Amino acid sequence: MPHKSFNKGVLAFAVASAMSLSSFAYADVVIGVAGPMTGGNAAFGEQLWRGAEQAVADINAAGGINGEKIKLVKADDACEPKQAVAVANRLVDSDKAVAVVGHFCSSSTMPASEVYDEAGIISITPASTNPQVTERGLTGEFRMCGRDDQQGVVAGDYIVDTLKAKKVAVIHDKDTYGQGLADATKMELNKRGVKEVLYEGLTRGEKDFNALVTKIRSTGAEVVYFGGLHAEAGPLVRQMREQGVTAKFVSGDGIVTDEFVGTAGGAQYAKGVLMTFGADPRQIPDGKAVIEKFRANGYEPEGYTLYSYASIQTIAAAFAGAKSTEGAKASAWLKANPVSTVMGKKEFDAKGDLKVSDYVMYEWDDAGKYKQL
Amino acid sequence: MDGIFLQQMINGLTLGSVYGLIAIGYTMVYGIIGMINFAHGEVYMVSAYLAAIAIAVLGFFGVHSFPLVILGTLIFTIVVTGVYGFAIERIAYKPLRNSTRLAPLISAIGMSLILQNYVQLSQGARQQGIPTMLEGSLRLHVGEGFVMITYTKLFIIAAAIAGMLALTFIIQRTRLGRMCRATQQDRKMAQILGINTDRVISYVFVIGASMGALAGVLITLNYGTFDFYAGFIIGIKAFTAAVLGGIGSLPGAMLGGLILGVAEAQFSGMVNTDYKDVFSFSLLVLILIFRPQGLLGRPQVTKV
Amino acid sequence: MPVSTSSIDIKKSLIDSVMAGLIALIVFGPIVGVVLQGYDFNLQFDRVGWMVLVVMVGRFALSLFLQTSRGAVVLQSFESPAGGVGVLPPDYKSRLRWILPVLVLLAVAFPFFANKYLLTVVILGLIYVLLGLGLNIVVGLAGLLDLGFVGFYAIGAYGLAMGYEYLGLGFWSMLPLSAILAAFAGMLLGFPVLRMHGDYLAIVTLGFGEIIRLILNNWLAVTGGPNGMSAPAPTFFGLEFARRAKDGGTPFHEFFGISYDPNLKFLFTYAVLFLVVLLVLYIKHRLTRMPVGRAWEALREDEIACRAMGLNHVLVKLSAFMLGASTAGIAGVFFATYQGFVNPASFTFFESALILAIVVLGGMGSTIGVVIAAFVLTVAPELLRSFADYRVLLFGILMVVMMIWKPRGLIRINRIGIAPRKGVAP
Repeated sequence: MPHKSFNKGVLAFAVASAMSLSSFAYADVVIGVAGPMTGGNAAFGEQLWRGAEQAVADINAAGGINGEKIKLVKADDACEPKQAVAVANRLVDSDKAVAVVGHFCSSSTMPASEVYDEAGIISITPASTNPQVTERGLTGEFRMCGRDDQQGVVAGDYIVDTLKAKKVAVIHDKDTYGQGLADATKMELNKRGVKEVLYEGLTRGEKDFNALVTKIRSTGAEVVYFGGLHAEAGPLVRQMREQGVTAKFVSGDGIVTDEFVGTAGGAQYAKGVLMTFGADPRQIPDGKAVIEKFRANGYEPEGYTLYSYASIQTIAAAFAGAKSTEGAKASAWLKANPVSTVMGKKEFDAKGDLKVSDYVMYEWDDAGKYKQL
Repeated sequence: MDGIFLQQMINGLTLGSVYGLIAIGYTMVYGIIGMINFAHGEVYMVSAYLAAIAIAVLGFFGVHSFPLVILGTLIFTIVVTGVYGFAIERIAYKPLRNSTRLAPLISAIGMSLILQNYVQLSQGARQQGIPTMLEGSLRLHVGEGFVMITYTKLFIIAAAIAGMLALTFIIQRTRLGRMCRATQQDRKMAQILGINTDRVISYVFVIGASMGALAGVLITLNYGTFDFYAGFIIGIKAFTAAVLGGIGSLPGAMLGGLILGVAEAQFSGMVNTDYKDVFSFSLLVLILIFRPQGLLGRPQVTKV
Repeated sequence: MPVSTSSIDIKKSLIDSVMAGLIALIVFGPIVGVVLQGYDFNLQFDRVGWMVLVVMVGRFALSLFLQTSRGAVVLQSFESPAGGVGVLPPDYKSRLRWILPVLVLLAVAFPFFANKYLLTVVILGLIYVLLGLGLNIVVGLAGLLDLGFVGFYAIGAYGLAMGYEYLGLGFWSMLPLSAILAAFAGMLLGFPVLRMHGDYLAIVTLGFGEIIRLILNNWLAVTGGPNGMSAPAPTFFGLEFARRAKDGGTPFHEFFGISYDPNLKFLFTYAVLFLVVLLVLYIKHRLTRMPVGRAWEALREDEIACRAMGLNHVLVKLSAFMLGASTAGIAGVFFATYQGFVNPASFTFFESALILAIVVLGGMGSTIGVVIAAFVLTVAPELLRSFADYRVLLFGILMVVMMIWKPRGLIRINRIGIAPRKGVAP
């Protein structure tokens, strides 16, 4: 009995490996969309999914990739590294995905991308801005957004040059994204000769930052830089204003969603808040038709929705350009050729980062909308 | 001394009174059936949603005056959350009444997963909020600096005190309170004396949930924002407060909440925000080492 | 018209059903029916209608069922507090004699069938078996409610990552070292909490677990903070499983002249982990029959009586804490090497709750039950992936339903009775 099952096992093994080599045996091009579909960051997971879904609908309507239709698979990691590894393996092995859009949280993207790289497929993260994501020498890892160190430089320079602040408090949310961003900004500030008066972390999921705000007040900071997401940025800015702290509030792309106004308790608190973000994809003319399509379906393509859309477009372009869904070929093609996406023309460098980072400053106005400065 | 200390004190007291209100839910349930109701944090979260829904609906019907909106919201939220407490007890805990001590604990953890995801699925994952209802604040000059207290915070402290007083009245002076206390002291004896203990336990869950609902309305007013995940951290903090004050003791829950809130605020102000939770948990461990029954808890008499 | 079946009272069922429907309407009405949109809302009452209908039909069916004779038996089982340990006849031979070898055979044959995804899920399951076994000593046998077990797990995982980063130690040296480190932490925690009982112990251990996570998260310079640290893969007598070995070594596949296969690393991890689990199972099996194991259970049942009998409760409790912790430390090392990366997000309170759920669901103190429950609770979320958004909701329902269905866990502890020999006075 053991002998027989052994033979069978070897056979199954051989068949499985043979099948994984010939991905053309399947009629569809399977692309995974991985992100926090449940849990505390599920709002961003929805943005990724919506964007990818629309992109696939549009590409399939136009004939698909190399004549094959794209099929999307939703993969939930809840922004937990453990689940990220599990879904990554599942996407690779069970779903036979040939490319992945995701993940969202940098701490999930990093372990998962190792799995994708080992399986030889390409993955594009629309949102993970931690520099380490592309610094580990993986061939198939790309990113559709900027890096925290680029973002931090833009924010730091703006604080020094335009706001001319001498006293800056740097706050972060003790998470991979938030702290990375805060550190990058702090480094730029220090380089420009401004020493922060306060550098502290708050706990994600909490809503009461009054103690921290009092501390900020006691340091007399003129600018508060916050690395983190809108769920914490909103209450923080509101509590600052409630305690009479008038310091400018500057943050990064983690607060780019209309929900920020809601979390801040209304536009009267969100007014005047500054943030860095890639040139608003909704302003880029290339995307106009796509954005109209989203709005026609009753969905405002905010935050990372268009990044996710562009990631799918990039994957489609790479597969079409390389005439293959093999990761190595697609990756090589992407690093050599520009891609035109809903967010304009994009070029990748050898690490998989975008060649041009287009971080600019935005300001929230008293109507609860953000405008490029 | 430029008002910073005083400001931190106020920060701590508002936060602490909220912890205290939620802690009451833990401590009452623990007192009566000896289980940690881990789903209580989620009950608070549900009540925050209910409060926002009530405010939105009232706004739709043109009710904008603050007292009316608050009154309507409080009544609606407390009643519906009370029903939640009742339903949760019926589904997840009642069948386990005669079981091991840990079985309801696990069922409570399952229940909190259910509540979180049920709210996420029906309301969406986005951050929710309510408009600022009560604008403006009190500004007091203290020495060099100043202290600012929003009217909302004053309202919270007042409402928390009122809620505590009402609860104390119910427990100490009414028939229902007497039944609760009797059941807490000796469930079997209470049953023999003709008290329907199952019903009393249901009442306790309803009361605990209602206090959680009061906290939910107040917190929502103060911070203006919440999501389906909001119950988790505050639940753990409130549970810590309940144990700190002596689990099973109502004044203890309030005191534990206040101490925890003030300790967090002062520690963040004077030392470091990063380690404030480390500090509050260490404080808890220290207090429990020297006073294992908590601050106001009755010492455990072990019967042989 | 008289109702012929007098035992079934339709009217009562109908009343039950209407009451349940009313409560469902109050409960679901606002949350499901009124969906917040910013400061505004829109109505979706059709969903409420369906949910209330389902609840009413369900309650009606349940009410009818409970009135049948079978339902009465079910109701009866909730009333009786059948506690303690079941005693089997002395000559009882467990069916496990047959099941266990089959399971081991299955486990050995498994890698030949599995693809990498399945393999990783099973590895994760085995890691949770280890965790469950460890916590089972503390909670199930010694009766000390520990809600911060994840702290020791984190110590093991970070032990591997930090040992590799700062001391250059690999998987094999850190495996025992992490166990010792975690045991030491268990002792540190054990001393101050010895005086505490039940739920006070629970909150202190919860605090301990949180403190460890917070320190790992905040102490940037050493632990890398939220970015985490990378952890090394296991080696086979110094041979690495990577495509290209670091530092000019020879990778496994070149040494043996086979083609590179990324699954090899996981196959090897699986094999080692499986052996470790078997070893721990054996040790645990022996321990429960040794004086220290008996002492744990005696202490769980009645501490005062034990101390009166002269049992050193400090030593007994500490040994439970330390053994449990060291098992978690080993699990942590495997987790770190499996994931290749550790960060504090993997060690939240929820993880402690999950491990506790494994122990309780498995049947407190039952080894086989823990193994089954560990697989159920780790594999179930993966199996439920096809339900996409409803996954975690269903997982929660599964936990509640299982608890109600089997409040004493899947497997009750049974002990084979001892028959007095003939001619010996009882």
